[in-house]
Amino acid sequence: MLEAIMVGAAGLAFAFLANFLSPRGLNPARNYFPGDGKVSNVAPAAVVPSRASGKTNVPASAPSPAALLKERLEKNGLHLLERAEVEKLFHDPRLQWNALLFIDARDEDEYQAGHIPGAFEFYAYYPQKFLENVLTPCQLAEQIVVYCTGGDCDDSESAALFLRDTAGVPGEKLFIYGGGMTGWEAAKLPVEIGPRGSGNLRNPAP
Amino acid sequence: MKRPLLPAGLSAADAAPVLARWLLGGLFIYMGCRKALHPDLFHELLREYHMVQSPLALNTIAIAVPWVEVFCGLLLLAGIAVRGTALLLAGMLAVFTAVVFHRALGVQAAQAIPFCAVKFDCGCGGGPEFICAKLPENIGMFLLAVCLLAGRGRALCALYTWPSRPGPPGPGRRISALSRTSLDKQ
Repeated sequence: MLEAIMVGAAGLAFAFLANFLSPRGLNPARNYFPGDGKVSNVAPAAVVPSRASGKTNVPASAPSPAALLKERLEKNGLHLLERAEVEKLFHDPRLQWNALLFIDARDEDEYQAGHIPGAFEFYAYYPQKFLENVLTPCQLAEQIVVYCTGGDCDDSESAALFLRDTAGVPGEKLFIYGGGMTGWEAAKLPVEIGPRGSGNLRNPAP
Repeated sequence: MKRPLLPAGLSAADAAPVLARWLLGGLFIYMGCRKALHPDLFHELLREYHMVQSPLALNTIAIAVPWVEVFCGLLLLAGIAVRGTALLLAGMLAVFTAVVFHRALGVQAAQAIPFCAVKFDCGCGGGPEFICAKLPENIGMFLLAVCLLAGRGRALCALYTWPSRPGPPGPGRRISALSRTSLDKQ
C-alpha cells in the first residue's frame, strides 16, 4: 500500500512535470469551458425515449437544442447566427478588407482539412498560440463570426469568451455560428483547404 | 548451436507472468501516450462524464491520468515497484470501468438501443469502441494487475520492491544475482 502511494505520488510529480514541458500541456488553473454547460449528446431524463413504445417522450414545451444554445449564448452576452445569415455575411464586401472576420475555433488538423475561406485559425484550447495573428484584426473588425464543428461543439463559445474577457475584444462584435463547419459543408458552400489564403477551394462559388 | 528461448534461471512458468507484466505495461504506455499527445481531446471527453464541476479538478485529472498511466507502464516494463504499481493500476481500472459502465447505461437509456450496441469514445485511448468489447478488455487488464499484485512476475525486475527491502527468494532475485555475477566478471 505504501509502495502504491509512493508510485502514485511520483506519478503525479511526473505528470505535472511532463505537462509543464509539453507544448500541448494544459493550464491547470484555466477554465476551458467558460460557457455555462453544453448541450450534452446524452439526452436528459425528460427526453429519454420510452423503451416500451419506442417513441420519444419529449414534453410539448421542451425547448429545441438550438433554442437552448441561443439561450445559453445570450446568457453569456453572445449572439447566435443562423446559416442563412452567415452565408449572407460571407458575401458581404466587408470581408475583403477584414472589417468582417471569420474565426475558426477548431483544432489545427480540422482547420487544415477545410475551413470557411479566409477564416482565421484560433483553436480555443491554445489561444495564446494564435492570439498574435488574430488580435489586431479582431480589434479593427466591425463584426466577428466565430464557429467550430457545430452540433454540441462549444469551442466557438470558449474562443469568443476568451477574445472578449481576456483579449479585450468588444462583446458586441462577436457572433457565434451555431451550425459550424458541419452546417456549412452540408450546404455545399465554399471551403478552403490548407492555410488561410491558400486559394485551394472545395465547392467554389459559381 | 541452438540458443535457449528463455534467459538462464527463468522457467516457462516464470516467463508467463513476466510477459503479462510487459503486456500490461505496454498497454498502459500506449493508451497513456494516446491521451498525453492530445490532452485537449482527452479533456473534452473527460468533461462528458460530468464527474466534477470544478475546472481545477477536471484539469488536474486530465493532466494526471495520461502521464500516470505512462509512468506506471514504464515501471511495469522495467520491473520497478511492481506490486505497488499493480495496486495503483487495479484501483484506477476499477474506477474507470465503473465510470464507463455508468456512462454506457446513460447512453443506452438515451438512445434506447441494446447495451452491446452502445459505442462511444470513453477517453480510454482506443477511440470509439463498443461497450461490450471495452468492458471485457478492462476486466482482462484488471485481472492482469491482480495477478501481478499477487506476487507473480518477479523475474527480470530491476527493483521489484521500492523502497528496496529484503524479500523471499524468487526468480527475480535469482536473475538479479545472475546479472550481478556477470557484471562482476566484466
